[in-house]
Amino acid sequence: MVTPIYIVATGLGVGFAIGILKKFGKNFTGALVLAALAFMTFISFQWFYGLHYGSEVATYVYTAGFKPPFSINLLMGQYESIASLMINAIGLLGGIYMFNSLKARGSDAQVVYLILIMAMNVLVMTRDIFNLFVFLEIVSIAIAGVILLEKSDRSMSAGFKYILASGIISTILLLGIVFAYYLTGTLNIDDFVGISLNTYKGGGLVIFLMMMAAILELKPFPANGWGLDLYEGADPGISAIISGASATASLFVLYKIMAFAGAEWNYYVALIGIITFVGSNFFGIVQENTRRMLGYSSIGQIGLLMVVLGFKDVLGDSTPFILFGLLISHYLAKAGLFWLSGIIKAKDLKEWSVIRKHPYFLFLMGTFVFALIGFPPFPSFFSKFNFVLLLTETGNIAWVIAILAGSMLEAIYLFRWFGYAVKSENSHIEKNKVCLHKSIPIWIMALALYGFSYYTSLSNPWSIAINFIPLAFVALLFVLDFLPVYIKNSLSILGMAYYFYLVYPQLDNMRLIFEVIFIVGGILTLIAGFAYKGTRPGFHAVALLMFAGLTAIIEAKTTLEFFFGWELMTAGSYFLIIRGKRSMTHALSYMMFSIGGAYALLAAFGISNVGQINLDLNQIGHISYLSTWAYALLILGFLTKTASVGLHIWLPGAHGEAESDVSPMVSAILLKAGVFGLVLTLIAMNGSDSQWSNLAYALGWLGAITALSGNLMAVFQEDAKRLLAYSSIGQLGYIVFALAMMTHLGWLTAFTYSINHFMYKAILFLTIGAVVLRVGTHDMYKMGGLIARMPMAFIAVLIGIIALSGVPPLSGFAGKWLFYNAVMEKGWYFQGIIIFFSGGLAFLYLWRLIHTIFLGQLKDNHRNVKDISIWFAIPVYILIGGIMVFSVRPDWVLQPLGNMLSPFFPTGQLNWDHSYAYTTLGYWSGTNVFITIVILFLIVFGILALSTRKAHKLKQFDITYSGEKPFRPETTHVAWNVFAGFYKAVWPATIPLVAKFWDYVTDFFHDGAGFTRRIYSGNGQAYMMHILYFIIITYIVIIGG
Amino acid sequence: MEYITLGHMSLLLGISLTVIGFWGILTQKNIIKIILSFTIADAGVNIVIVSLGYVVGKTAPIIDNAVVQEAGRNVSASVVDPIPQALVLTSIVIGFGVTALMLAFAMKMFTAKKTLDINQFNELKW
Repeated sequence: MVTPIYIVATGLGVGFAIGILKKFGKNFTGALVLAALAFMTFISFQWFYGLHYGSEVATYVYTAGFKPPFSINLLMGQYESIASLMINAIGLLGGIYMFNSLKARGSDAQVVYLILIMAMNVLVMTRDIFNLFVFLEIVSIAIAGVILLEKSDRSMSAGFKYILASGIISTILLLGIVFAYYLTGTLNIDDFVGISLNTYKGGGLVIFLMMMAAILELKPFPANGWGLDLYEGADPGISAIISGASATASLFVLYKIMAFAGAEWNYYVALIGIITFVGSNFFGIVQENTRRMLGYSSIGQIGLLMVVLGFKDVLGDSTPFILFGLLISHYLAKAGLFWLSGIIKAKDLKEWSVIRKHPYFLFLMGTFVFALIGFPPFPSFFSKFNFVLLLTETGNIAWVIAILAGSMLEAIYLFRWFGYAVKSENSHIEKNKVCLHKSIPIWIMALALYGFSYYTSLSNPWSIAINFIPLAFVALLFVLDFLPVYIKNSLSILGMAYYFYLVYPQLDNMRLIFEVIFIVGGILTLIAGFAYKGTRPGFHAVALLMFAGLTAIIEAKTTLEFFFGWELMTAGSYFLIIRGKRSMTHALSYMMFSIGGAYALLAAFGISNVGQINLDLNQIGHISYLSTWAYALLILGFLTKTASVGLHIWLPGAHGEAESDVSPMVSAILLKAGVFGLVLTLIAMNGSDSQWSNLAYALGWLGAITALSGNLMAVFQEDAKRLLAYSSIGQLGYIVFALAMMTHLGWLTAFTYSINHFMYKAILFLTIGAVVLRVGTHDMYKMGGLIARMPMAFIAVLIGIIALSGVPPLSGFAGKWLFYNAVMEKGWYFQGIIIFFSGGLAFLYLWRLIHTIFLGQLKDNHRNVKDISIWFAIPVYILIGGIMVFSVRPDWVLQPLGNMLSPFFPTGQLNWDHSYAYTTLGYWSGTNVFITIVILFLIVFGILALSTRKAHKLKQFDITYSGEKPFRPETTHVAWNVFAGFYKAVWPATIPLVAKFWDYVTDFFHDGAGFTRRIYSGNGQAYMMHILYFIIITYIVIIGG
Repeated sequence: MEYITLGHMSLLLGISLTVIGFWGILTQKNIIKIILSFTIADAGVNIVIVSLGYVVGKTAPIIDNAVVQEAGRNVSASVVDPIPQALVLTSIVIGFGVTALMLAFAMKMFTAKKTLDINQFNELKW
């Protein structure tokens, strides 16, 4: 084992040697620096390995041949080895990344860089408080020195503000140290831990000074303007070191000082941390400058880590897991992003679209962004989950809310940025030159992130059970992304089919229904993907990511697994949605609602876990603490996915603008994830002794209003896909309403609707999507008369709308009939009227779908269009087969459904007599109705066919034109604005109040942040003033005026 | 009655200098004056360090003629605490380094904008 003192010796020795060896050239000295850093990394790795997996024990290293207090001692323990390894590794990779830029600054810069890394090691290891001060100064001097040696003048003022601030901070620390020595006669941290400084007269002030310095080093909000300027102004290589290594070291310094500061400081550290986390991220949302935004994010993340440190006594043994999970994710991701920002020379967020010219970098950027937000499978996900659970368990709910709010704010700006990168215009920006030595460190960071993700999931007792096979398959598809569509598509379908085969025997009937919707539905929609040519980059991996998440929530046995799957599905569907041409803003709002919903779920899981011994998902059935709140949060979280009114504004754009085969995936399939969640929640509520009836009543009203407003908005759409999207909102409203009734018939209705909606919405979206691919527009008034060109599409849409509208003989009527019975039985007449009125509205928009697109005049430019692609027709007709079976023999579906629901709702079942279903109100036979209507249809059809045998067939132009050329051609289309009269009657109901509300919320936050961030005036003295105010206010709060 | 010792006086002086230095950093607009204020504060802290190690009636911790050396007498009893004196040396060196670096920045900033007014260096903000 090489003793850790060699880390210092190597740094200093090579540093001095370069002074002599300069003459061999800068390449030589640069290589020497890298070799030294590699050796330092090796030493810390060796200790890390020995301490964690070998037989090493924490070791003190004494300098100068004496023991303390006559010499300085260093400690290499478990945590020290991790921190030191992190610092040296990023030092080495950063050294590779900055090889050329350091070379350009000369061998002096190379030395300074080496000393910087070495000094941060000492910060971690030293047990002498004065030594700590000295190396804190060396770190500041080295950082400022590297900046000073930059060739550009841009960062000079940032460097000056930084050195001034750190000068003041270390003066404060020095005063504290000197008085501590005066009081105790020692400078050794271990001695401080042993004696209680607080018991000395003036000891409190001494601790205050030292704690202030340690906290200020971490750039607490708002006394951190100098830090932000540094992040923005410095070379991105340096920013990466500051964000990754220096923050790690400073956090360690705080940890060491907290060890003897006394437990009463914990609360204040957490308080300052949370203010920093929320405040920083709040200002982040208005940033347009990439590096400054990353700076805000870095400072925020460190704030969150301070919260963890502050709660260390509460979290107990879980502290290291939570702390290092968050720290490692931030360390790897932020370094990666800063380095990326050095290659993608885009200052403004919007210019990041140029990253699409380097697709692999886009992948890296996505990895880092998702890791920062805490998406699975990254370590931060597990940390946040555990953190929230433990905080809730100890009654710190206000903290949970603040942490989730801060995370949400961070997600807003990071995803906005990522959206620009994926979608913003980039033809005007030139591709950047990429050097290998700059991209390799970024790749290493990303791979390490995935490696740690796996490692973390193994080290958490609850996450071992997580099934990584689907994720591995997704990763395989990413790797094979260069292959053509038909190979990837076949592979995806085979993979999903095989997985379904493996999984389905383990599922109960209720889960099986949803698994069939998710996986079989997924396979059907994937078949449509064969219609695409080329490689369709990225599509299959993200689609399968969504399906992996969907199956994970079905298979979940613990709340952790459920949340894991939920977040995977969100990530995958986000990527699917953002693929649409004009989807940037819609994808962002989808993501925001999804994350908001996910955090509601997380909080609910936290609450439900109180008093439980494990994370079993069934625990939501017996919540002992704040149970109504927990259920309300669960319902709220799931309603964001079912797009209930108020939380629906993302849906029309997201579904309407998505690609043709993606719309059915995110509509017919994905929305059912919310339904599945609601089903789980309501079953749990039903079985619990919680007072939930008010909640169910409110949910019923919400469902009814959603049904009404969704259908009403659908009526006035000119865009076929948006029409279908609004229709989905309405349909999901029915399902929510039916579930809220909490009766056997209500639930039977809900399941019938879920199955039906899956089938007919998939049929309609696939067919309309396929038509759109042929005619090149979503606008219905630009189509017409397509029945002649696309009979296959016509029949599919016809059957789809008959089923959707719920008229006999198709399966939609089963839903309607059950609905009627359920409402009457429950006695929710008023809501029922709203529901049935909404059903009437459905006719208005469904009629347009057939009439506007397929009937009327064929447009000139569509005279030669072909029928829809066979690859779309195959799944469509398979689903039509499904609808037909359901229509002819509804008892095949409804009877097993009834049996499945009986354990939950034992009374009020349907009574079956062959094909006849009886309720207290009446009876119905789907089979007989079907047969009767088909016979009637055939008779009428036959009579008409016979009587019109001799009729003259009218050609399209057997009509007279008036000769006028209309100013707006769409107005001449019979179906354009066809409901103007109806609109006059109902327009007040169509005002997008909800969208206005959310716009107002967004503006409020934006304007608020835009105004308040002006405290960062850029003036160095103002920043020093902030530090002073920070100290004074903290003093008043903690020690008292 | 307690009387004011040299130690108290220098402690007061040190703290006053620190406060004056901080005041200068916050109020002076000229970068050179800010740096000077910093060195004043730094000097103040150094004086505080030395004064805390001072003990009335004792001499410098150097074993020379000023220290009475005879058998049976512990020489350490007649000198002041040497540690603060050692610390102050380090602190002075660091202060020197920081000041030099600040001056170097001032030089570069002046070359860039031909001014030393701190208010002119606000381009990084918000």
